[in-house]
Amino acid sequence: MAITEIIFWFLSALAVISAIMVVLSKSPVHSVLWLIAVFFAISGHYVLLNAQFIAIVNIIVYAGAIMVLFLFVLMLMNLNKETEPQKNLWMKLTGVVSGGCLLIILISLVRQATEIKGKIAVTKTGDIGLIKVLGKELFSSYVVPFEISSVLFLSAMIGAVVIGKKD
Amino acid sequence: MIELLFHITAFKSLPLGEVGGALTHIIILSTALFFIGMYGLFTRRNMITMLMSIELMLNSVNINFVAFNKYLYPDKMDGIFFSIFIIAIAAAEAAVAIAIIINLYRTHKSIDVDDVTDLKQ
Amino acid sequence: MPERAELGVMNAIIFSALIGVVMMLGGIVIKSNAGIKLLAIILLFILLGSHLAEYYDLFNIHIQTHGMLAKSRFGMFFNTIIISLTLLYVLLSGDEIVKVGTYGAEYFALIFFSLCGATILSSYNNLLMLFLGVEIMTIPLFVLTSSEKKNLKSNEAGLKYFLMGSFSTGILLMGIALYYGGTGLFAIEASKAANEAQQAFRILLPLGLLFIFISLSFKVSAAPFHFWTPDVYDGAPSVFTSFMATIVKTAGFIAFIKLFELRSVDMGYSWKILLPLIIILTLLAGNITAVFQQSVKRMLAYSSIAHAGFMLFALYNPNDFGKQGIMLYTVAYSLATIGTFAVLTKMKDYTYEGYNGLAKTKPVLAATNTIFILSLAGIPLTAGFFAKYYMLASALKESTSNLWLVIVAVLFAAVSVYYYFRVIQAMYFKDGNAETTEIKPFFKTLLIIIAALIIVIGLMPSLLLDLFYA
Repeated sequence: MAITEIIFWFLSALAVISAIMVVLSKSPVHSVLWLIAVFFAISGHYVLLNAQFIAIVNIIVYAGAIMVLFLFVLMLMNLNKETEPQKNLWMKLTGVVSGGCLLIILISLVRQATEIKGKIAVTKTGDIGLIKVLGKELFSSYVVPFEISSVLFLSAMIGAVVIGKKD
Repeated sequence: MIELLFHITAFKSLPLGEVGGALTHIIILSTALFFIGMYGLFTRRNMITMLMSIELMLNSVNINFVAFNKYLYPDKMDGIFFSIFIIAIAAAEAAVAIAIIINLYRTHKSIDVDDVTDLKQ
Repeated sequence: MPERAELGVMNAIIFSALIGVVMMLGGIVIKSNAGIKLLAIILLFILLGSHLAEYYDLFNIHIQTHGMLAKSRFGMFFNTIIISLTLLYVLLSGDEIVKVGTYGAEYFALIFFSLCGATILSSYNNLLMLFLGVEIMTIPLFVLTSSEKKNLKSNEAGLKYFLMGSFSTGILLMGIALYYGGTGLFAIEASKAANEAQQAFRILLPLGLLFIFISLSFKVSAAPFHFWTPDVYDGAPSVFTSFMATIVKTAGFIAFIKLFELRSVDMGYSWKILLPLIIILTLLAGNITAVFQQSVKRMLAYSSIAHAGFMLFALYNPNDFGKQGIMLYTVAYSLATIGTFAVLTKMKDYTYEGYNGLAKTKPVLAATNTIFILSLAGIPLTAGFFAKYYMLASALKESTSNLWLVIVAVLFAAVSVYYYFRVIQAMYFKDGNAETTEIKPFFKTLLIIIAALIIVIGLMPSLLLDLFYA
């Protein structure tokens, strides 16, 4: 096995196990920490896929900003009490069955597509993940969605203030 | 979708020769994460954990975009841009959600979904 | 007006975002509620003016969109409708909006941003813009839903809406990812050559479209993905429910039609099974549950699900008849819903008993409300009748084998008459002392104008449809 393969399998296992722990761990703080582990594993995958910029952004935004926000909220409100992670059995069963069905469909679908199977990423080549190339593209062909997303941030900002501020 | 059912019945074993970053594996990884997130959303009661499950779902989709971009359509960068937008918008969404949760906690002193029963008739 | 796919962002998108910013900043300067409402109305007139200027080719901002947005007559006409409806809505319920909480100007700003999302949905040509449009449209709504901060019900509704909204966004993104995997494009109009070149991976495309379909069903509350609707519509402040049930919902349908008129062929045979199934489930879930409701607000929430079932008929034949039908339905349904909700917000008691004897105390309110309700039920001579007629006719035009579906829909429409007429019965034939808050003459005049519009469109739907082709 080449070194990239070992890294790939390690990161995949880390991502899946941590994700399961996010869902299963009783304390919300532990969930947050496991989720950060998932994000690091996913960032590792991005690096393997040659998308370095996304890898960095993923860590900065998700692990750095969103998760810290979650942790703050949990700590400040003293919400880290342990909860039983179960609703009722039927709900759980529905979740497992529906999720499992779709998972099976997707996996079998992907396996059918034989053309996809052979595709192996060419690492160490190409510069599509680099900032210079991305920036040029972002401010030419993606400039309209880029500008329009500012409307979304503005409304999210107003919303957070309107709701979060103490009257 | 009818065809899909036939695909499932024709479930074959995976040739293990092509390991190490084959697209199939990445898609399997991302769908697994997606449905772990969905499972968490359905089964957890703590609102912050439900929110985390949603973040997990969005992240798994990001992997798909980058992987499809890299493996299938490497000449353009559409997939990477889409995932940048997803990351940005997920952050904005999380901010609004946290504001709602804080406000709910302030008025109700609990963020457990099952305590929220006013709307059930 | 030639269709310019590449050039041109719609004025409506730019101006609705701009007036949102102006509104937000205006809130710093203007403190009185009346001033804020006046500013909102003036800004909406500016928006409508700028949009009409583009419609008649007078003034237009040209921007290279790289195929992200596409201008079409359909989208432009829809924008005219939703901007006018928003104006009507603000004129009618502006007083109630500023009364919800301490952030009057911000509520209007959020409404304008949401409108901006709706205008994006009427002109997207790229799935990235679909995603952005849906998000811009719904994120302000999460806030508006939970804007009654002291009210637990409103908070819960906001949270529930958020969880369901982001869950469906996750599904939408999964769908778009698979669509991308299947075609290599985000554009909804792919050229034939590009399609055939990527034939190898097209196996991912139907599944992707199925995911997008499920997600959009969430947004327009089609069964079996409707379960969040009654709680959210019930919990949200009534003024904002009115906005959610009309402008936002119809914009969701436009997004639906724009994508699936081009792409339903890719789903193959399953599309033929999926669509009738969803329609029947939606009609069933909406109409049957509405019968058992005690609160008029909750009944209207279920009836909006039932109307979603009718609007889904437009997907059968989205080329001409369905498009005309959805325009007519948008106008008829939104006018009537805005009217009923405006009356509802004036009531002190939201149950059927609360309406008892309204005809004696407030005859104008009762009479106009009757017309709105008749239109919702689809009684002839009101706009609702022709809206339903066009929808069902579009399914029949597609193929006469859809006759059974049309018959089922008509039966459900008959069921709906029962719960709508309970309101009329309460207003006219029951003794009681319906209490309302203070009603201004201007409000009454507007209600009469809306009722007149419904009757006029009901008598001559061609008036509206001619505008579409003018």
